[in-house]
Amino acid sequence: MTGGLSEFHEELRAVARKIVGRPPSALGGLEPQILDWGALADAGLLGLEVPEGLGGAGATFAEVAVVLHELGRAPGVGPYLGSTVLATAALLLSDPGPARDELLAELAVGTKMATLVLDARTTRWDGPTFSVAPTANGATVAGRAEWVLDAAGADRLLCPAQGASGPVLVEVANTGDGLVVEDRPLADGTRRVGSVAAEGSPVLAGWPLPPGAVDDLVDLAATAVACDSLGLMEAMLEATVAFAKVRHQFGRPIGSFQAVQHACADMLVTVEVSRALVAQAVDAVASDTPAEERRASVSRAKSHVGAAAVEVCGKAVQLHGGIGYTWESGIHAYLKRATLNRALFGSPIEHRRRLVRALPGSPPC
Amino acid sequence: MSSRDVTAFRSEVRRWCAEHVPADWRVRQTRASDEAYVEFQRWWFQELRHAGYAVPHWPKAWGGGMSTAEQVALYQELAAHDAPRPTLAFVAVHHAAATLLEAGSEEQQLRHLPAILDGEIWAQGFSEPEAGSDLANLRTRAARHGDVYVVNGQKLWASGAQHADWCLLLARTDPDAPKRHGISYLLMDMRSPGIDVRPVRQATGESEFCEIFLEDVEIPVANRVGPEHEGWAVAQATLNAERGMTVLELAERLWQAGFRWLLELCSIPGPGGSRPIDDMVVVDHLARFESQLVALRAMCATTVQRHDEGRSGPADASVVKLFYSELLQRMTDFGAEIAGVAGHARTDKPRSSGWESGAWVLDFIGSWEWTIPGGTSEIQRTIIAERGLGLPREPARQDR
Ligand SMILES: Cc1cc2nc3c(=O)[nH]c(=O)nc-3n(C[C@H](O)[C@H](O)[C@H](O)COP(=O)(O)OP(=O)(O)OC[C@H]3O[C@@H](n4cnc5c(N)ncnc54)[C@H](O)[C@@H]3O)c2cc1C
Repeated sequence: MTGGLSEFHEELRAVARKIVGRPPSALGGLEPQILDWGALADAGLLGLEVPEGLGGAGATFAEVAVVLHELGRAPGVGPYLGSTVLATAALLLSDPGPARDELLAELAVGTKMATLVLDARTTRWDGPTFSVAPTANGATVAGRAEWVLDAAGADRLLCPAQGASGPVLVEVANTGDGLVVEDRPLADGTRRVGSVAAEGSPVLAGWPLPPGAVDDLVDLAATAVACDSLGLMEAMLEATVAFAKVRHQFGRPIGSFQAVQHACADMLVTVEVSRALVAQAVDAVASDTPAEERRASVSRAKSHVGAAAVEVCGKAVQLHGGIGYTWESGIHAYLKRATLNRALFGSPIEHRRRLVRALPGSPPC
Repeated sequence: MSSRDVTAFRSEVRRWCAEHVPADWRVRQTRASDEAYVEFQRWWFQELRHAGYAVPHWPKAWGGGMSTAEQVALYQELAAHDAPRPTLAFVAVHHAAATLLEAGSEEQQLRHLPAILDGEIWAQGFSEPEAGSDLANLRTRAARHGDVYVVNGQKLWASGAQHADWCLLLARTDPDAPKRHGISYLLMDMRSPGIDVRPVRQATGESEFCEIFLEDVEIPVANRVGPEHEGWAVAQATLNAERGMTVLELAERLWQAGFRWLLELCSIPGPGGSRPIDDMVVVDHLARFESQLVALRAMCATTVQRHDEGRSGPADASVVKLFYSELLQRMTDFGAEIAGVAGHARTDKPRSSGWESGAWVLDFIGSWEWTIPGGTSEIQRTIIAERGLGLPREPARQDR
């Protein structure tokens, strides 16, 4: 990484932290915080990957990853993953044109939100669950998908669908015209998922989907989630260490007991291992890494960090004692989000299986 | 009791469960109000009581007297029939009863043990903001004025205190004595003036533990258990009950209900059509849990047996509590992992259920309710090392 780029990342990190971050002492609160979408837009954080000509920054996923990491450190409610990461990336894979460019420009300034209609349980895409039918004055789409991230709040839904001559990505307005989006409340109150059912919804625009495009988007999603998990565990390590220095029992800071010290030390090692794997995955996704190599990097990161974040956040609860078990401390929100992240876009078991099968010398299956 | 008798007893419990466990209790207890929860708990406890199942671990004279083998059979069948747990009576039948039986006066026993059977609800007011793991650091002050103690202070994390009729209270009666020697053990009527109970919302979203503020609360000296200033020793009886006996029931639950549901969960085909159990990794986990559960159940039975024979080892209860609580955490963690994204949409853990309810994510979060209270896992390991293995203490720990 060049010096200029890492300086840029530091600046970006500072800007993002200022908007989404909270001081560790103000962790949590009674309800999850809502992301300040206007501030994110004003700071240019919603259009990092959008071309400059369309009002974006023309940057890469490496920069988006910096923001995702910060969002993990201070999770709030907002469609950054669905809209800013996935919908934007899906549009960027599509052929330029007025409809695409207009939506990208709106996503970049936050006047519209969108999402990619993709089951969040997907590790490998099995083909579209939607299909397009031509009508007298255009086309309609029908189909259904479960567990779609950020579906309910999206103005536009981008559905991978079966078209007359292959898979296409179609844009549908979330206005109820033949379309039902149902929110599914989760134990984790900071992410939203919903089901999307379309029955003859008018297609606003459509683009052919290049082969492998959706699988690439799944990898992107998995990597984005890994960045978030890294942020979660980093924040929990910091909060726990800070707490262990000030909480006294037996006339000493609890951080002076070896049991607590060793637990914190293990948390640090786990965070650093995760950081190394996430950095490689982000690099692979942001650059032109060959698909096989990229997939391996993504699976390494997603499997390891998915599990590690649950472990570290769980330890944070434990080391905070009774306080850690209160709602108000906010630590539970990290543990719940880490547990959900572990499941999104491939569990550790699935990614480990994928990783080993992709290794050179592994027998074919 | 011979094995034949236990078999007959088991059939009796089975028949009873078939007739008495309400088929719809999970639905009724899902998102139930506090009132509906308390009413259901009171009713269910009386059902158990009339069958003779409410306090099997108490001495015969007070309405218990079951052998360990019978208790195991009882708990197995209750769990196998998905019976609700008498959660609200937990502190009363375990901690309060153990304290009264070990150290209470005859009058106190007569006053409270039958009342507990009639539904008297108890809470435990031990912990304070500055006294968690270091319980002996408690500051709540009980100043003696003739026949009463006047109590001032703050208790924290008292489970179920908002519903309690009585509270087990540790308070400092001699502020000048070394930490462990100035504490007295009191029974506090929760209707006394000066008590302010505030439920605290916990990680699972429920509000079942409470802060208790005490301002000039008068407790009759007659409600002291054991000698004045010697409450610490009495408290050990209570803490031991929490760590040891209770796990007998919970281990059978984890086995009959928790593991069974985990097996069911792993047999449901996923989005791709294959079942988790077709994967060797999942099989490996299930087999480990199974073996560990069999061991846990055997260890619990031995612990209870040794306790009844007065041969308890100094760390027996800690071994069992530590292993149970961390096994519960591992199993619910694995359940959450296998249940995946869909598991997060199960936000409807019914009240009155066990620590494993099938709402795996909430069960996993709830498992810290076993690794933190009653002596954290870290403290249990220290007890096992120091008292069980006789290792030297960590230097400069000021707890005496
Ligand atoms: C759900 C729940 C229900 C509860 N119900 C009750 C109740 O009904 N009545 C009641 O009186 N209390 C209750 N408690 C309180 C409980 O007993 C305390 O939370 C527990 O003893 C830990 O104390 P603490 O919270 O102050 O944590 P701390 O003691 O501050 O501990 C913080 C961390 O430091 C570690 N630590 C502390 N000292 C040492 C040491 N010497 N060596 C190594 N590690 C150490 C702990 O293990 C923990 O990880 C409940 C708590 C919870 C979470």
